[in-house]
Amino acid sequence: MLEIKNLHASVDGKEILRGINLTVNAGEVHAIMGPNGSGKSTLSNVIAGRNGYEVTQGEVIYKGDNLLDMAIEERAQRGVFLAFQYPVEIPGVSNIYLLKAALNAVRKHQGLDDLDAIDFLTLVRSKLELVQMDEQFLHRGVNEGFSGGEKKRNEILQMALLEPSLAILDETDSGLDIDALKTVSDGINALRSPDRSIVMITHYQRLLDYVVPDFVHVLSKGRIVKSGDKELAKELEKSGYSWVNTEQDGLPA
Amino acid sequence: MKQLTELATPFAKVADSLPLVGNEFPWLNALRQQATSQFNSDGLPAKKVEDWKYTSLWTLAQQSFTHNADKLSLSAQQCDQVALLADAYRLVIVDGVFSPALSTVEALPTGLSISSLSTSLNNVEHVLGKQVDLAKAGLTALNTMLMNEGLVVTVAADIHIDKPIELLVINSGNTEGLATHLRNVITLERNSKATIIEHYVGLNDVSYFTNVVTEVVLAENAELNHYKLQQESENAFHIATLAAKQASNSQWKTNNISLGAKLARNDVHSQLLGEQSHVVMDGLYLVNNDQHVDNHTRIDHAVPNTTSEELYKGVLDDNSHAVFNGKVIVHKDAQKTDANQQNHNLLLSRGCEIDSKPEMEIYADDVKCGHGSTVGQINENQLFFLRARGLDEVSARSLLTYAFAVDVLDRIPSEQIRQALSSVIEQRLPRGGV
Repeated sequence: MLEIKNLHASVDGKEILRGINLTVNAGEVHAIMGPNGSGKSTLSNVIAGRNGYEVTQGEVIYKGDNLLDMAIEERAQRGVFLAFQYPVEIPGVSNIYLLKAALNAVRKHQGLDDLDAIDFLTLVRSKLELVQMDEQFLHRGVNEGFSGGEKKRNEILQMALLEPSLAILDETDSGLDIDALKTVSDGINALRSPDRSIVMITHYQRLLDYVVPDFVHVLSKGRIVKSGDKELAKELEKSGYSWVNTEQDGLPA
Repeated sequence: MKQLTELATPFAKVADSLPLVGNEFPWLNALRQQATSQFNSDGLPAKKVEDWKYTSLWTLAQQSFTHNADKLSLSAQQCDQVALLADAYRLVIVDGVFSPALSTVEALPTGLSISSLSTSLNNVEHVLGKQVDLAKAGLTALNTMLMNEGLVVTVAADIHIDKPIELLVINSGNTEGLATHLRNVITLERNSKATIIEHYVGLNDVSYFTNVVTEVVLAENAELNHYKLQQESENAFHIATLAAKQASNSQWKTNNISLGAKLARNDVHSQLLGEQSHVVMDGLYLVNNDQHVDNHTRIDHAVPNTTSEELYKGVLDDNSHAVFNGKVIVHKDAQKTDANQQNHNLLLSRGCEIDSKPEMEIYADDVKCGHGSTVGQINENQLFFLRARGLDEVSARSLLTYAFAVDVLDRIPSEQIRQALSSVIEQRLPRGGV
């Protein structure tokens, strides 16, 4: 599904990613953990194609094609979904309009016709249920005046509707209280499937109690310094990130 | 170099040769004479006049115009196609001439009168010309000299008219260089209520000149929802003066949408003359290519306890140029005035220019007044978010532009009109729809 090879990326001339290697197969759930400043968000932004992130070396292969050559929207249309750490508010664009436009963009890429209004609404309602959102959220501006938890649920709603092949969840657990965390986790778990890969980027272990990953990777100073299974996350929870940094410092630059 | 005053002389000469309506009314002749001498001394305003600092009328002044339209009849179907509302009392003026055949102003409810100016001159003496200042800017004087047609609406006391009234002014493009000077007079008597849309449309891309003056009189407790939609041809000149006098407890909600014309200028003025009177003065300009649009607004809070809200938004692309000058004047003793004025602009290209000048002159001491002006670009985070959801860049930009613009319609009470206007705006976006 996704193959990242020796990825180096800079922001404003400063190298943030310093040789990432990662393979994610279909159906797998990976967690990438790391302290602040380790490059977690840079990695998700590079995969989604945000401006200002310069890839200086390496490649990212998605379903056999070079992802880095694709425009932002093409990545999305081909099934790459980024759940934002800070979902953007867009007053004046209703949530339902966004959902419809996004779904139709993906469908168009797949050679499908737009869904008609009734089918669309039926579909959206079923997804709303999944993330326990009230229908009134559809008619508000995108994320406009939403609480932190509502914004994150809204991201999961979009993901559920678009049914991506590869979902990158950037700190989706941040700012959530325990109830919202459960709801969001249930939403993510419902989307686990043999032909969908999920990469969760997180600082904390607690999301992983609810969405149990197949693999855990530790990111530090722009490199993956340790990989393991869910037990690795628990180890991190116990001893913090300091040991990671110590080990990392021993590596050749 | 010639002065603009000299270049204006052809207009002055027209007055002698043109068959003007209403010559039998002495009051009108006197008014026209006054306007003629004013125009002869002032001519067209030059850029050295502060109010015209950013808008030059040179191209207008250098062009020759005709005041005689070749005869043309439009079909009802053509008319329906360009009208904003399907269900409205409609008064249609084509190439400066009132068209009874295309208008639907018969069988009106009791208390409502809609007619063309040329047939109503015996009823407007007490109103016409009373809301505007002939001495200010030559174009009102020019209009007064040459006005030949327009819309006259009167709503009697205590009458509420639910169905909107659409004044549809069409330039067919059949006569190259046609100049029309229209005068609209809208009077709402005590406790009455109405909705009126002024709608200007150019059917073909020829050059012409629309010079319109609309006067609004709101008696006590009257409520007028008023919209102006300007979709002139991109080679047209559109100059509009809109002035209202408001008595106590009256409400004027006006929204001024400028989409067309090569050069458009709006002067919008409300005088809040009675306590508890309220004005909402909103507007949107959406321009591209080499279009130039200039909105000058003025609100006079003349007495205590009046309120005004103003929001003008602009979207500029290519090499377009927009001017916003909003003046709010709180007169001495107009205590407890509550006034808010905002102008926000979205620039889509490097070649465009906005001159935004919000002004407040406050001569009372117990007031609540605020104003603001912003100029910005498409928000890159929003753009990235939409593209990361699969929208291509052009659609995403269109959508964000639409979202920026469309909230100027928020204060329009009628869902029907809000939707009609928002779809007109949508069609005007770079992609022609979102």
